[in-house]
Amino acid sequence: MTLDFSVILDNWQLFASGLWMTLVVALLSIAAGFLLAIPVAIMALSHRRWLRTIAGAYVEWFRNIPFIVVLYIFFYGLPFMGLRLPEPVVGGIALAFYASTYFSEVIRGAVLAVPKGQLEAARAVGMSYFMGMREVVAPQTLRLLLPPSTNTAISMIKETSVLSTITVAEITYQGLVVQGATFAPFEVFLTTAALYWLITSAFAHGMHRVERAAGAAQGSQQARHSLADKYLQLGMRRSK
Amino acid sequence: MPNPDASPAAPIISVAGVNKWYGAFQVLTDVSLSVARGEKVVICGPSGSGKSTLIRCLNQLEQHQEGSIVVDGIELGQSENAAQAVRREVGMVFQHFNLFPHLDLVQNCILAPMSVRGMSRRAAEALAVGLLERVRLGEHAHKYPSQLSGGQQQRAAIARALCMEPRVMLFDEPTSALDPEMVGEVLDTMRGLAAEGMTMMIVTHEMGFARQVADRVVFMDRGQIVEQAPPAAFFGAPVHERTRRFLSQILH
Ligand SMILES: Nc1ncnc2c1ncn2[C@@H]1O[C@H](COP(=O)(O)OP(=O)(O)OP(=O)(O)O)[C@@H](O)[C@H]1O
Ligand SMILES: [Mg+2]
Repeated sequence: MTLDFSVILDNWQLFASGLWMTLVVALLSIAAGFLLAIPVAIMALSHRRWLRTIAGAYVEWFRNIPFIVVLYIFFYGLPFMGLRLPEPVVGGIALAFYASTYFSEVIRGAVLAVPKGQLEAARAVGMSYFMGMREVVAPQTLRLLLPPSTNTAISMIKETSVLSTITVAEITYQGLVVQGATFAPFEVFLTTAALYWLITSAFAHGMHRVERAAGAAQGSQQARHSLADKYLQLGMRRSK
Repeated sequence: MPNPDASPAAPIISVAGVNKWYGAFQVLTDVSLSVARGEKVVICGPSGSGKSTLIRCLNQLEQHQEGSIVVDGIELGQSENAAQAVRREVGMVFQHFNLFPHLDLVQNCILAPMSVRGMSRRAAEALAVGLLERVRLGEHAHKYPSQLSGGQQQRAAIARALCMEPRVMLFDEPTSALDPEMVGEVLDTMRGLAAEGMTMMIVTHEMGFARQVADRVVFMDRGQIVEQAPPAAFFGAPVHERTRRFLSQILH
């Protein structure tokens, strides 16, 4: 069997427009999902039980169903509620909600990883809960937030392929179109795979640079490690 | 804000009949205590006796369920506003320093004066630098907490609390997380503060310090105040059996 990539070159415009669609939908829904995750995480961390219950139910609901089912619920549900939107928008909204549940868990984990004494110290000097979270806790979550957020974002980039089922003309959809016209599945889907790889690895690379910049801006790696060491030592000394 | 109704003669802290539970477990039982302006009170007692819980109730990092706590004329336990008003007047120093690791020492010190007091950056920085110099950290003012020793961090934490110009300072075992060679420098800083007339409540096992600095030593056990007396009487002639047992353990 020989591979003939000329079919790809003949259809490069379809792949290019698919790539563009994937990029736009992925970036917008990831950004929206992250923003949406912030209030969800705040609710999940609240000391009011009813807020925690709502946030917990929201997260549980989305996390226990496959994205394709979430997508269908939005795709058939929104018109039913009288809201007719273009497919890429519906797909982006569904993905943003789906992503928000994962991001909210990432944010919650990062906040919980900041030692409790930090918020206490902020409150002890007279700052409100909100001010303490914003000025003291939030900045310390940044570095804890980046690696798991990158992983979640990459999962969401891959989930955009599911939007092909509601005819959003992203990479996978265009691959299916070209495959239907050319009957060259190997060439088409190897190309499709390469395009996803290109996006995800470029994204991961970019985020690593951001991570390093954030690390340097916050007083070097050494700062974090010696702090962690200190807490460990204190824990040991105290328990003797 | 300082309360205009509070006369100078009235106690700055008064705790009456306070009870507190964690679930079914009673941490504080009928605790009553009053502290005069300028007084230095040392609280001691075995581990788990409720010392931290008591001083954390005074700035409402913990809430009590029964009894009354009045600090500088403000009744606590009613509202978060009252708690915040008290926290603006009452500084706290923690066992594990709890400095903000993402900020340098000056930034640690100016955060609350600027955000809570609405002080200008210039005024807050001048205040912070002055206080850092006073705790002998002048040349470290722009270092991050992780670049300092434990003793230096604790002195910085004291400076951070002083930047709010508090009327009362609470200390919860300020030296027990320190290597022994650093205990002295922190106690010296606290002695300086005491000499200037600051009202202080100090949970500590440093009995030598208590003897020198305290006006009164309070002994707690199992959530109760068992005994309180000036240091000479407290160490010289403890009344209760539990106090004697505790003292013989701690003084060997
Ligand atoms: N959040 C909490 N939930 C349940 N129990 C608690 C909580 N905090 C403290 N306790 C319990 O309350 C009791 C008093 O605790 P507290 O920390 O006030 O003691 P302490 O006198 O400061 O002891 P130490 O010398 O060890 O610091 C302990 O038995 C502790 O286990
Ligand atoms: Mg304690």
